[in-house]
This record gives sequence, structure tokens and C-alpha cells, in this order.
Amino acid sequence: MIEVTHFTKRYGDFVAVDDLTLSIGAGEVFGFIGPNGAGKSTTIRFLATLLRPTSGEGKVAGKSVTKDPMGVRRVIGYMPDDFGVYDGMKVWEFLDFFAVAYEIPRTYRKKIIGQVLELLDLTHKRDDYVNGLSKGMKQRLCLAKTLVHDPPVLILDEPASGLDPRARLEMKALLNELRGMGKTILVSSHILSELADFCTSIGVIERGKLLAAGSIADITRQLRQHRVLKVRVIDDSAERAASILRDEENVKTVEVFDQTLTAEFHGHEDDLARLLGRLISAGIGVHSFSEDDLSLEEVFMMITKGIVN
Amino acid sequence: MILRDNPVLIRELLVNLRSPRAFLLQFVYVAFLGVMVYFAWPATEGQVSSGAAQRLFDLFFLGQFFLVALVAPTFAAGSITGEKERKTYEMLLASPLTPTSILVGKLLSSLTYLIILIVSSLPLIILCFLLGGILLSEIARAYLILILAAGTFGLLSLACSSYFGRTSSALVVSYLVILPLAILCVILTRTNDTVLRDFVSIAVLPPWCLTIWAVVVIALNRRLLRPPDVGSEGKEVVDEEQEMKYAIGVVIDRDLFPDKLFAPAKRTDLMPDGTNPVLDKELRSEIFSQGTLMLRVVIQVSMILSIPLMAVLLFLRPENAAYYVSYVLTFNMLVGPVFSAGSITQERERQTLNLLLTTLLRPGKIVFAKLIAALRVSTVLTFLLTEQLFLAYILIPELRDRWWTLIIYLAIIATTCLATSTIGLFCSAISRKTSVAMILTYMTLLFLFVGPVGLRWYLQGFAGGISEDRLSAFTVTSPFSSAFSIPMKSSQYSTNEQTTGSLVMRLIPGINLPVWAVFLLGYPPFCLILFGCTYVAFRYRWWRAGGT
Ligand SMILES: Nc1ncnc2c1ncn2[C@@H]1O[C@H](COP(=O)(O)OP(=O)(O)OP(=O)(O)O)[C@@H](O)[C@H]1O
Ligand SMILES: [Mg+2]
Repeated sequence: MIEVTHFTKRYGDFVAVDDLTLSIGAGEVFGFIGPNGAGKSTTIRFLATLLRPTSGEGKVAGKSVTKDPMGVRRVIGYMPDDFGVYDGMKVWEFLDFFAVAYEIPRTYRKKIIGQVLELLDLTHKRDDYVNGLSKGMKQRLCLAKTLVHDPPVLILDEPASGLDPRARLEMKALLNELRGMGKTILVSSHILSELADFCTSIGVIERGKLLAAGSIADITRQLRQHRVLKVRVIDDSAERAASILRDEENVKTVEVFDQTLTAEFHGHEDDLARLLGRLISAGIGVHSFSEDDLSLEEVFMMITKGIVN
Repeated sequence: MILRDNPVLIRELLVNLRSPRAFLLQFVYVAFLGVMVYFAWPATEGQVSSGAAQRLFDLFFLGQFFLVALVAPTFAAGSITGEKERKTYEMLLASPLTPTSILVGKLLSSLTYLIILIVSSLPLIILCFLLGGILLSEIARAYLILILAAGTFGLLSLACSSYFGRTSSALVVSYLVILPLAILCVILTRTNDTVLRDFVSIAVLPPWCLTIWAVVVIALNRRLLRPPDVGSEGKEVVDEEQEMKYAIGVVIDRDLFPDKLFAPAKRTDLMPDGTNPVLDKELRSEIFSQGTLMLRVVIQVSMILSIPLMAVLLFLRPENAAYYVSYVLTFNMLVGPVFSAGSITQERERQTLNLLLTTLLRPGKIVFAKLIAALRVSTVLTFLLTEQLFLAYILIPELRDRWWTLIIYLAIIATTCLATSTIGLFCSAISRKTSVAMILTYMTLLFLFVGPVGLRWYLQGFAGGISEDRLSAFTVTSPFSSAFSIPMKSSQYSTNEQTTGSLVMRLIPGINLPVWAVFLLGYPPFCLILFGCTYVAFRYRWWRAGGT
């Protein structure tokens, strides 16, 4: 549904996005994560036909982003990360404005505006002025606006930023619902855990480079090679244990804190068992030897530190 | 604290004066003045007449005075609204800076450049002094007036900047307040009665200016110390009905004539199919989105000014109708750009352009809607002032006999409305910021409308040997000179030709077209071409795969 091939964007000498290639199938929910300034918005604006690429090509629903922007605009709903609203307009007028701009006939408009207001829980704000809404409300209004023409592809740039925890949960539920309606969704965020629950695949971008992309299962499999090992020892043998761990070639870094050692480990289960044997045969009183579960946040931190290729 | 170490002042001075543009502009300015002096310099040494020096000095003074009146608002009117637009206003208010130091910082920083420009003309004035015929005291007096004017105009613009949310509104209201004051001031200080002149410029102007300063400073201080409640997002939500209850003077009622001409009532239901949504939005929502204050001020000030002007120019001396028309044209020149010069840049500044561009609206539709909306509002507002013309043509037999001149006047006014809106929209399409677009528009309009008149006046006085036909050919771009080219007295046409200059220009050999006819024929195609350029600029700059 969405195809990006060798997209590069330069600002002068600065490379904002570097040779990015990406493909998202129909019905997928693709989470686009990366730290600030990574190039998420740049890529998304390119897909939304708002940005001229330095080189590269993009296709949405088979239509070229650069050659047929009108065709692309017809099939996408785009929500920018930073947007304003028109002053002096009421909520329903705002939605009506965009509905007309998307050439929706009047008879459908009435129904659709009611529906999106309902969907985003804005019905009670129907007659309020849009510039008087709070930030989160505006966010929801903007999402409502992207839905008026019922696009098959949604491109959302940080839809959850500025929302309270409850609204975030609701946003997730909403995106799930939209996925259930068969829409293809590209959604960006800095926060991985926000995406992991409902994304079918994710892409991690840092400094303009796509570090990893694929289904969540793929990425975790890639990460399975990297374990965080926690060893607790009794008495004062921590330093001795640390030196044994450091000798091991599978171990990357070792940190000692009191009687707890944290080590980054590369390898399989049998390597782990051998390592435990070595510690015990060296006479170290190991009282716990375990593998830490990586939270998604830690995955993100590891990826963006460049641990995964 | 107020002057030294004032962070507002220092920051703005750094930003404004550090740019190479500032030096370039100063250079161009001094060079321009120099060229003027050079050509006006008496050819032979023996022929030094005090008249030439006096005329040159007058030119200098008037030029600089209007420079102050035109430039002071461009810097000052944006200084607080700019902070509001960039959303840094509240940060500034919440800082430990006292309102006075914010004010002084803003005022001085917006005026410094102007004062540098004024001072840099001093050597040239001294040169005129050497020609003889001018008193030193007169020069000192002129500079005193210039500095006072700069301060007063700057402060008034700053006040507007504080009361309005947008630079464009602040700028236009500043001009509307300042230009009448400036003209009054020139009339008072330029009379031939030397006693009155000295009395006015020494005993009347300074105290009045100081009073205005004091009042404005106190009002602004109050406003900065206790800013009005603008809501959580720092933006005021203006509810029209609420506002109307507290309005003083004119009230705009969208359901009544003539207000509904420029402000159709808000919709109560969805738009019908086939509506241009942008046009609908511009007319029904955008005009009053910042409240009706600006429009009410504009309408009231222009109406109040028009009454004495009508009495003097239309009823007492009907042959001066062209002056009244000039007033209407000036009004349009000031107000027209407000509605067009911001219309594209504001979409960008408010970050709604992205939303608009990803819809199915074609660029032509967007640009056309913006032009029509701007044109409609500015035309209706301008034509509100032509009521007085109609009245005069009905009541005064002298004018009634020449009814066809009314039609030409109205055509000139309508063409001017078209020109100001189109030029404003074009500037909006090629600029990044509304303030830049506004200033660019005013500059272009000055260049096209006022420049030729000034040039003609200058050439008439100093460079002999250019035929009147040639001179009037210069002025075809100016609606003012086309208004004056309409003969108001049948006798004037034949006998007064020496003083009023030729009313005809020879465009094509053999055919004599009056200036107004060339003006009326020339502008519509020019506007069409400019609209085409606007479309192309918008399409390739913003619509097609965005600007950045
Ligand atoms: N107009 C521009 N000129 C120069 N550099 C730019 C411009 N726009 C963006 N950049 C740079 O491109 C890089 C990518 O920006 P982008 O907005 O895509 O990041 P992002 O991933 O969306 O970050 P965030 O999470 O903060 O929204 C940034 O380093 C930014 O500084
Ligand atoms: Mg971003």
C-alpha cells in the first residue's frame, strides 16, 4: 500500500533522511519510531505530498507521490504533528470546510460529520469555536478531519502527543478500530510502547537512517541475540565474578553495583549454562543468575544506540 | 535597567542592525538623496537663488517626514504582534522585565534605524544650507519635528500593536491614525505665515506630542502589566455576539445592508454543494476572526475624516472633487492590502496550510477564492466612502452637469481596488511572513501610485526641458494622477494647461489618450497577468510538493 524507495532529503549539506526504503502492506499498522530530529516528520510529509524529495520515489496505493499528488491526496488522511486551526470557525464548520474541500456531497456530509464527531467523542463540542479548544481536543478534531473523506490510508504524525493518559488509551482503541475497518495506518511516535500493542510492524529511524524495520516478531527475534544478564553473588566476590565475566568473549559490558552484576550477553542458552558453570567452579557464591526481560523501551534504546545493525 | 542592559532592546538591535540589508538600505537611501541634490543643484554658480535651496529643503523635509510616517509603523506595529504571532509574548510578559523596559526596548529598537536614516541625511541638508537662503534655525526646527514625529508615530503604532492580535491589523490602523496626523502636521508647519509656523512647531507640537506620549505610555504600561485574559493557548477566542454588546460607535451587523455585502452572515447549516469552501471560509469566518475591532476602527475613522473633506472638497469647491477621490484612493491603498497581503502567508503562519494543501482543492481555486474575498471586502469598504460623491453629484448642479466624470471616478476607484488586492495577493504568495508581505505590498503601491506623482513634481521643478506629454506619460500607473487628469471645469481644459500640465499623453502617435483612459485600460490586463503570476508562484512554491 505504501512504498518508499531510496528517499533522500537534504537541507543544504545536512542529510535529514538518507536513502530510506520501506514498504507497508495493505491493512498493516506501521509504527514509525525514532528520537527527536530523526527524520520521521520529513518522511511523513514526503508521503503526504508536502515535501519535494532530493531523490527517491514514493507510492501510495499505487499512485506516485511526486507525479500524481492529487491521486495520493484522495486516498490519504494526513494529520501533521504541528498544525493550527482557523480562527472564528466552529467545530462543525471546520469539518464541513474540509468535507467540501474533499468534494463530499452535502447529503453525505451531514451524516459523516455526525459520525466522526461521535467517533472522536467531540459531539458535545460541536458548536464551540475551534480556536478555543484545548490542545488534546484540537488533536482529536484534526483526526476527525482526516477521517471525513474515509481514506483507505492514514498517515498520522504523532497523533498521541499532547494527550492525557486516558485519551492516549482511547486513541489506541480508536486506531485499533480503524485497523479493524481495514485501513492502512502509518503512525509515528517517539514512544515505542505506545505503538507496540496494536502495530503489526515497526520501523526504527535514527539520524535519517532506517535502522530496523519489519514485524514486531522479526525485530524481537533479531534482539533475542542480545540478552541482559543479572547475576547476584554473596559476600565480596562481586569483583572476582566481574573479572571472570569480562574474560568471556560473549560478554560485552559488565557493570557492578554492590553485589549485583549486570552484563550484556551475546549468545545462546548453552553459552549461558557454560558461563554459570565457570562462575560456580571458580568458587563464587552465585545466589541468582537470570536473564532480564527487555522492555520495549530498552529495545528502543538498544536499537537507537546502534546495537542492532 | 530601562536603557542599559535592556535585553529586549539589545536583542532587537542586534537582529535589526546586524543584517547587511540594513546597511544596503541606508546606502540606497543616502545615494537616492544625493542624486536628488545633484540634479537639483543650480547649474551655474552665479545663479544661486534662495528659491532653489528652499525648494530642495522643502522636498527633503517633506520626503523625510513622510518617510517617518510610513516607516515608523512598519517597524513598530509589528513589534508586539510579532511576539504574539510567534507565541513568545507570554514568555516576555511572564519574565521579570518591567513593562516600561519592554516598552522602551521595543520603541527604541524600532526607531533606531529610522533615526539613523534621518541623521544620515544631515550632511546633505548642510550642503543645501551652504547654498544659502535657509536659516540654521529652520533646519534645527525641521529636525526637531522629525524626531518628535518619529517618537509619536512609533508610540502610536506600538499602541496599535498591543491592542491587535495581528500585524496586518495593527499596521493598517496605525496608518489610518498616523497619516491624518501627519498631513495636519505638514499643513500647520508649512504655511507661508512664518509667525504661525514657528508658533506651531515650537509652542504647539512639542507639548501635544509629549501629552500623546504620556497617555500612550500609561495605557500601554497598564496593558502589559495586566494583560487581558487570552485563554490557555494564549489566543483570544472572539465571540462576535459578545463583542457587539460592548462595541462603541459603529456596530457591524451582518444581516443588514451594507455590512452584509462584505460580511455575509455566518452559516447555520452545511454549505451547499459546489461552494468554493475557501471563499466561504474567508468571507464568513476569517474577516472577523480577530474580532471586529479593526474593521470598526477603520470604518469609523474613514467616515469621520470623510465628512470635513466632503464639505471642503465637494461642496465648497466642487472643482476639487479629484482631491476627494484621492482620499478614497488613499484609503483603499491603506486598507486594501490588509485583506489580501496576509491571506496566503497567514495560512502558513497559523500552520493550516498543510491541512489545506492535502485536500483536493486545486491551487487555482484557492488563489482565486482568496482574491475574490479580499477584493470584495476592500471594494465594499472603499465604496462606502463614495456615498459622499454621489450626494455631491446629485446636489450640486455644477457637478451634475458633468455626470460622466462621476462614472470615470468610480471606474478609477474600482480599478484601484482591483490593483491593490491583486498586488497584495501576489506579495503574499512570494513572501514567507505576513509582515514582509504587507510591507512589500505598500512599497509596490507607493512605487506605482505615489512615486510617479512625486517624480513628476520633482522633474517639473528642477529639470526643465521635458515636455508635459512626457511627464504625464510617467504617471499613467498612478490612480491619483488619473483622477486629476479628468477635466473638472470646461474652461480649465483649454486655458489652465500651463499650470495643471498636460492632461493628455501620446501613447500611439496620432491618438491622444487621456491619462485616466490609459490607466483604466492598462490595469485590468496588468492585474490579470499578476494574478497569473500569483497562481504560478503559489502552485510551484506551496502547492506542488510543498516549499520545504
Ligand atoms: N527546513 C529545514 N531546514 C533544515 N533542516 C531541517 C528542516 N526541516 C527539518 N530539518 C532537520 O531535519 C531533521 C529531521 O527532522 P524531522 O522533523 O523529520 O524529525 P522528527 O523525527 O519528526 O523529530 P520529532 O520527533 O522531534 O518530531 C532534523 O534534524 C531537523 O533539524
Ligand atoms: Mg516530527
